[in-house]
Amino acid sequence: MRAWLYLITAAVAGAVVTTPALLVFVLGGGSVDDALFVALATLMLVSALLVVTMRDIIRCGLAMIVAFLALAGIYVIVGAPLVAATQVIVYIGAISVLILFAIMLTQSKAAPARLVFQTQAAPAAVAAVILVVLVALAVGATDWGETATRVRLATDTLARVLFDDYVLPFEVVSVLLLAAVIGGVFIAKREKEPG
Amino acid sequence: MGLANSLDSYLILASALFGIGTFGFLARRNAISMLMSIELMLNGVNLAIVAFGSFIPDLMADGSIIALMVIAVAAAEATVGLAIIIAIYRNRQTPLVDEYDAMRR
Repeated sequence: MRAWLYLITAAVAGAVVTTPALLVFVLGGGSVDDALFVALATLMLVSALLVVTMRDIIRCGLAMIVAFLALAGIYVIVGAPLVAATQVIVYIGAISVLILFAIMLTQSKAAPARLVFQTQAAPAAVAAVILVVLVALAVGATDWGETATRVRLATDTLARVLFDDYVLPFEVVSVLLLAAVIGGVFIAKREKEPG
Repeated sequence: MGLANSLDSYLILASALFGIGTFGFLARRNAISMLMSIELMLNGVNLAIVAFGSFIPDLMADGSIIALMVIAVAAAEATVGLAIIIAIYRNRQTPLVDEYDAMRR
């Protein structure tokens, strides 16, 4: 019985993700890129909504991994394959695993998550919707001076710029990561003060 | 249609992701859920940066590199944030932020 339930859930999820893409592809006359973009965007938004609304926090973490993966696909479509690879390695490989471990370390049976949301959840939803609408209006009203098509940059060009113009920020980020690692270990490992 | 070739669609998608993260950060009770929402917001900003780098001629190489820097800073932020949450959990035995009320009693 459980297996059938999972299969039906997977089929419904696949239909939800692929239907807008097929609509764009067949009815709207879009290209394959458009269909892929719409499918990945739908997948990302749905799983992001699941992240902020689901009751079981470990499932929220797994949905977050799906959202990160869809976003990596969108990076590939927009023409930044290096950022997509970094997204997979850092976000899915490191940050998600870190968050899943933190979930396992901090969720106790004594504090069941009956109430998922704060009392201000409804005003928070209104505020978020207003924010998105405002940003969308601003985006629509602005002329960015953009090119007609997206440009894919070669990775060796990126590397040249990174190690020529951006050497100082690169080194500062490495020092920041070192400080964060040391600080994280210090804060998480500190024992109770004696006396 | 040309959805994949227009900067506006990427920016609106990024703002939608940022808005979902905002809602999660304001509405969830669990500290780790709030941290995950912050990660979603950072991803939305990152998508906007990469889209600008891919469409604006003046920002061609800079967009991807700034996005890489943002990813590194997000990793640092997640490390320290989770360490702080674990340290608080050790003291208070709860991950729910509305029970962290030591400073307003």
